[in-house]
Amino acid sequence: MYQYDAIDRDMLADRSAEFRGQVARRLAGELNEDQFKPLRLRNGLYLQLHAYMLRIAVPYGSLNPAQLRKLAWIARTYDKGYGHFTTRTNLQLHWIKLRDAPDIMDHLASVDMHAIQTSGNCVRNVSADPYAGATSEEVDDPRVWAEAIRQWSTVHPEFSYLPRKFKIAVTAAPKDRTAAKTHDIGLNLKRARDGALGFEVMVGGGLGRSPYIAPTIRQFLPASRLFSYLEAILRVYNRHGRRDNIHKARIKVLVATLGRDEFAHQVEAEWEKIGAAVDLPDDELARIRGAFTPNSFETLPPRSEALEAARAATPAFARFARNNLKPHKVPGYGIVEISLKAIGETPGDATSEQMEVVADLAERFGQNDIRVTHEQNLVLPHVKLDDVPTVWAALAEAGLATPNMNLVSDIIACPGLDYCALANARAISIAQNIAKTFADPDRAEKVGELKVKISGCINACGHHHVGHIGILGVDKKGEEFYQLTLGGSAAEDAAVGQALGPALPHDKVAEAVDTLVDVYLRERQDGERFLDTFRRTGVTPFKEAVYADAH
Amino acid sequence: MRALTANRLIDGEVVFWKAGEWVERFADADLFEAGDPRAEAAEAHGKNQPTVVVEPYLIDLIESEGLWAPVSYRERIRALGPSNLPHGKQTEGGAAIAALLHAHGGARSKGRVDLIKRK
Ligand code: HEM
Ligand code: SF4
Repeated sequence: MYQYDAIDRDMLADRSAEFRGQVARRLAGELNEDQFKPLRLRNGLYLQLHAYMLRIAVPYGSLNPAQLRKLAWIARTYDKGYGHFTTRTNLQLHWIKLRDAPDIMDHLASVDMHAIQTSGNCVRNVSADPYAGATSEEVDDPRVWAEAIRQWSTVHPEFSYLPRKFKIAVTAAPKDRTAAKTHDIGLNLKRARDGALGFEVMVGGGLGRSPYIAPTIRQFLPASRLFSYLEAILRVYNRHGRRDNIHKARIKVLVATLGRDEFAHQVEAEWEKIGAAVDLPDDELARIRGAFTPNSFETLPPRSEALEAARAATPAFARFARNNLKPHKVPGYGIVEISLKAIGETPGDATSEQMEVVADLAERFGQNDIRVTHEQNLVLPHVKLDDVPTVWAALAEAGLATPNMNLVSDIIACPGLDYCALANARAISIAQNIAKTFADPDRAEKVGELKVKISGCINACGHHHVGHIGILGVDKKGEEFYQLTLGGSAAEDAAVGQALGPALPHDKVAEAVDTLVDVYLRERQDGERFLDTFRRTGVTPFKEAVYADAH
Repeated sequence: MRALTANRLIDGEVVFWKAGEWVERFADADLFEAGDPRAEAAEAHGKNQPTVVVEPYLIDLIESEGLWAPVSYRERIRALGPSNLPHGKQTEGGAAIAALLHAHGGARSKGRVDLIKRK
């Protein structure tokens, strides 16, 4: 894992001291709310329905045990003993007091963490494949590049006042676990036939009010030229982004307005002017790469007798292994997915105790490595197969062994009206109802991969546009209603979903999802996922069933 | 009927106006009849306390089980705490909390409309 150097630490200490001063001036009345709000937002502090909310950056979703323990401690000391992992792999605390916020920043800084650039019109926390360094699918470790982007974009003066927020995701595998095409820039690292590394550069994705899937503006950018190219993209955006209209200010609107080709052309012209001077020097790249040197893995047989014995003896473990254990690049190791989607609980929430259990397991069995996924789960990327039964037992005891990865109850949901000041409707309760409807794990497995994503308003923090089943909370004369969309995807086959029909009241949504699943089970042909069946049949059979029931 | 609400600056706590003070329980809030100018006067007073509260606004109320409850679901959640975990103000229990929990009928919250207008 990357270790902060003295420059990083000094910067955090300065920022923390500066923020302490800003809070003191606000409390003393020297700053009014209009002056203070942009300052607190620059440090990830929002005012929500019940309290302040602090959004803590987890760069490329990567945590070590000391950091996760510190987060657990902060949640217990200054919040109500839990935190909410988000679709941008950050952690949100929902019950923060302004008077405590400066101390919290100091505690975060003590483990090389902060909340800088988790809000505002700047380059936000960079996300990356949660399986980085563990999957055999990748051509390089995306964390190396994500860390370089983090360093480059942190308090970068030219990109501190962009027209709007800016989100970057990096993956190096054909299977996209980052939702790259919904980002302002999605980078997919590839290896050419001659062995050279390069990025497929996708620009102008985004969700919110008007969803766009990012088109590719360059198929293969030599990896060594990444930073001049990123700078060119951001310059074109900084120059032409619609600062006059917040709803048109994202780069997605600029790319869509100019068209992909014209946008790419302007970027290439700017890139030529910039030249290679701002690219990352090889020795700096090597230094960063050194922080991600491959872990020392033992030489083990690919098959673990202990794992197979546990599978045979314990059906619940076998189910966990089927759904939550993924192949590792090193024989005898596995990637363990930890579901934060226990049936009936809040998607993405973890208690302080749960965070501590995960930190302990990472220390004892997981090479001190923990990842946060954009689907609001955690990952132990390097676990010996022999140890998986022990890890499972400890997770199960902490309520963290729900065997539902990628299944219908592995739902993304934003905080919605239970916490968020902007919400129209609740999202969490819808997720709870759906998960309870599919509580039978046999049925959930029979249904197979099904991505349900729920947002409490059109800002789309819960990625509803790209859910296989997307659910959007709307306000009908002040009542909670929900619009369903079908056929979206956030993966490599990214697509925006299609509306099902008129919005449904709160208590009808889980029932409607049940009906949609029944239609799928009736219509599916061999091997089809829900998404495949929908793409083949179109919306009609689904629509007929849901609205026939509604009469 | 109306009440005046805000978030307290120092901790973000949901508060309500009562006789010149800000209190945490909705059940204790001052209630203003429709058209009562004291409501706007209280709001103006609150806006003049920038080191005490953030963004005070008036909310509409309806009758519920013989008591009063905010019309909008958003404001009921603010008065009660979130619905997914029982660790907000709902834990206090009693008739006033029950009335909030059982209230029906929706209307847009001025708090949210203001937020979106400002954006
Ligand atoms: C509770 C406080 C939150 C506030 C005030 C907030 C605010 C917003 C706003 C205003 C937008 C729309 C921006 C635009 O279209 O330009 C947005 C989009 C988004 N937010 Fe949030 N959000 C919150 C929580 C979250 C959470 C909990 C998550 C993750 C679960 C999240 C992740 C995202 C994502 C992924 C998008 C849309 C993707 C995109 O267009 O880039 N936010 N948020
Ligand atoms: S989608 Fe809307 S309701 Fe949900 S967190 Fe984002 S802003 Fe809040």
